[in-house]
Amino acid sequence: MTDVMTPKSPQWWKKPDVKKTAILWVICTAVIGFIGVEFHVRNIVSPASENMSSIISLITIFTWAASPVAGLVTAICITVLTSKRHYGDNPPPEADHEIRNSPRVTALWVSVSGLLCLFALIGGLIVLQHDNEGVLDTNAVQVNVTGQQWVWSFDYTNGARSQDLYLPVNKPVVFHITSVDVKHSFWVVQMGIKMDANPGYTTETAVTPDKIGVFDVRCAELCGLLHAYMQTKVHVVSQADYETWLSNNAAIEKGA
Amino acid sequence: MTTVMNKTVAAPGKSIIEKLNVFTALALGALSAIVVWRLSLAFLPQDADGALIFSREDKITLLSMIAWFVGFMTGIGALVGPFRWLMGKDLTHEENMFLAGKDMGPKRYLRYTTDHKVVGIQYLFITILIFFLGGTLAMLIRTNLGTPTGGWLHPQAYNSIVGTHGILMIVGTIIMVTGPFGNFIMPIMIGARDMAFPRLNALSFWLIVAAAVPLLWGQFIGGITTGWSAYNPLASQAPLGMDGYIMYICIFAISTMVAGANITTTVVKMRAKGMTWNRTPIFIYGVVASVALALPAFPVFFLSQVLSAFDRALGTSFYNTALGGSGWLYENLFWLMGHPEVYVILIPSLAALMEMAPVFTRRPLFSFNVAIMGIAGISGLSILVWAHHMYISGWAPLLNAPFMLTTELISIPTGMLFLVLIGTLWRGRLWMTMPLMSIFALLWNFMIGGVTGIYLSDVPADAFLHGSMYVTAHFHYTLMGAGLTGALAALVYWFPKMTGRMFDKGLSWIAFWLVQIGFNIAFVGMFMVGLAGQPRRVESYAPTFNTANMVTTGGAYIIMAGMLVLLYGVISSARSGVKAPINPWHAKTLEWTVAYPIPLENFDVLPTVNSDPYDYGKAQS
Repeated sequence: MTDVMTPKSPQWWKKPDVKKTAILWVICTAVIGFIGVEFHVRNIVSPASENMSSIISLITIFTWAASPVAGLVTAICITVLTSKRHYGDNPPPEADHEIRNSPRVTALWVSVSGLLCLFALIGGLIVLQHDNEGVLDTNAVQVNVTGQQWVWSFDYTNGARSQDLYLPVNKPVVFHITSVDVKHSFWVVQMGIKMDANPGYTTETAVTPDKIGVFDVRCAELCGLLHAYMQTKVHVVSQADYETWLSNNAAIEKGA
Repeated sequence: MTTVMNKTVAAPGKSIIEKLNVFTALALGALSAIVVWRLSLAFLPQDADGALIFSREDKITLLSMIAWFVGFMTGIGALVGPFRWLMGKDLTHEENMFLAGKDMGPKRYLRYTTDHKVVGIQYLFITILIFFLGGTLAMLIRTNLGTPTGGWLHPQAYNSIVGTHGILMIVGTIIMVTGPFGNFIMPIMIGARDMAFPRLNALSFWLIVAAAVPLLWGQFIGGITTGWSAYNPLASQAPLGMDGYIMYICIFAISTMVAGANITTTVVKMRAKGMTWNRTPIFIYGVVASVALALPAFPVFFLSQVLSAFDRALGTSFYNTALGGSGWLYENLFWLMGHPEVYVILIPSLAALMEMAPVFTRRPLFSFNVAIMGIAGISGLSILVWAHHMYISGWAPLLNAPFMLTTELISIPTGMLFLVLIGTLWRGRLWMTMPLMSIFALLWNFMIGGVTGIYLSDVPADAFLHGSMYVTAHFHYTLMGAGLTGALAALVYWFPKMTGRMFDKGLSWIAFWLVQIGFNIAFVGMFMVGLAGQPRRVESYAPTFNTANMVTTGGAYIIMAGMLVLLYGVISSARSGVKAPINPWHAKTLEWTVAYPIPLENFDVLPTVNSDPYDYGKAQS
């Protein structure tokens, strides 16, 4: 191993380019982390469920966790680019050292990326576990979702059927999703859930809306000619309003 | 001896080989397609009234396309050799020399020429053509998305343009490095006289040409309205254009397998004396890893499309749930190819930049072994991650956690390649050229592509991001921001060896900055609309997404300007650029030891290698 240390040169951390990189690293980490988080948080939809809130915090945490690595790469690039540059048709003299390897740096780099990877995995698994338990909730509101080219329809346990989705606030909902023709993908945008609607199968996903309002349902899998228009609204209302709507709607169904 | 003499006398001017070229191929292909089309129209039975699946049209289309394919390949001369073998003979020496393109001038580019340098140039030409077509379609998409209601493109035309853009760019990026540079440069770089199987080399190129026609044909019979992933059962109800897609993929998959076997054999068996594995340039590792990954991936792709063709034309139900099949089968087969395939695209580009890094920093490649470990790690893991495309498909929710693990593990070998590049840049003597700047651009773009990839690999976050424009932006950052950047750098770097002239320096800089700036504007805008909830592959969108879509469209026009400058640079530099010296970059790999024009068999005396090509900085230390 040939190292950067030679007897006559100062210790490696006192070299000017190392110092410069260290300072840049701190700055770049802060800037990249801040911009990365702000970019995502400002642009992402405002959450209407705990799922969506935890997705936003996952993205925030991952961004901050990734920013030291991104910051280091950027800092080294800036240090290198601001050192002596050579323009011209002939090459500059060859570099005055021949570091071919540094087991210490490599080991450190690989262990840090391994740890970050583990961190991302654990973070994801915790949220995933929480999300998975939702579909088992038998007390939840059960809604059957059917995709067909190019509309969504929703069936409720009392026989009501609608083109707009109605949900009570703060009550767990389990969706049973299927399709009658091709594959669609049921995406309740502001609630951070998405599940494919497969012809011939029923898939499940669960969410608890925690905000009253009108949100978007879109199809997220190319399903033919009018895929772009396969969208509808989800109305999250209070429990009382929900029950009123449900009974009125069931009545209309029967009347028709 | 006398028999050989007799054959040599008999051969000149009479060999069938000398009469075949791209024109006879086109003529024979068209003729056989028309004949088979008329015959199947006349003789194929009508579908029964009330049949569930009307497949006669599909049968006719597929048969005509197969006839085109066989006719074209016969017409180009691909079958002459195998036919001779069946007769217990082989091509004569003169015929082989003719095939190699000896003293043939420009005409050899229009024939079944086996010289790897000719094949490399042919690949370069077709790659540029594919990018030109795919880029034009991208501009149509972005122009249509300039306003929320889209409007001026019919939804079916829009969907077809999206699908065709996708598949063209996938094919273009797969061949962009291993095609031109893997064929032209790689054999010289390892000190070989040609590829291991020169005729297979010609075959792999002409298969791509043969494949192009069904894709084009498909545009006129309904188009590819399913996106490039062609999910079933959407694909089974799609118009006849889908058959064009199926044929295109099948022929292209054969081409990739043939090229993969050829390149792998060449590298394993034909390296110069003394070029041990630890003296083999890193670019070679990248090319081999890429084609070796394609070897398991593309047969699966081929199979998935054959089953799709059966479903459409023969009324089988591999992918039809109602009749016992499963759409998830298609998704599994497709992504078993689809995920290795992105690394088939990326690895050679990364390896090309790792090859250039020591040249333009005048110091050794940092941690050669780590680079190999990184390439091997990515290749190995990439065949275990396919179902991360299916987190929300409902296929196997219990497998989401294991696939999340394998996917996130890929960040470790990818990080190793970052380490190699920044380690090489560190304290290097920067020689400011477009290839060097491309390394910085790749680090930047691939960093964004990689980190957003971690969000997408996370199952809960993917439940929001999947199928949105965020995914589109993410894979453009990896395949275009990283992959294409490396390929363009490779073009400028090896241009002098391939054309004998330097790539115009000014034009390369202008193109570089336009493409990189335009790219980052365009796809940052696309990340924004993805986060705001715009799905992929939509032809109109909610007015709230308008601003960011305008940004993306604007960025796309800047990319277009850059690519046109680059195209002009290729043409003008190849015609009237500065004559290149034998080794303009003062690099140490073998391809820079042969002068332009490179003789037919590359080396008068085969070289011997006694060190790796990265021993920069020795003289001074």
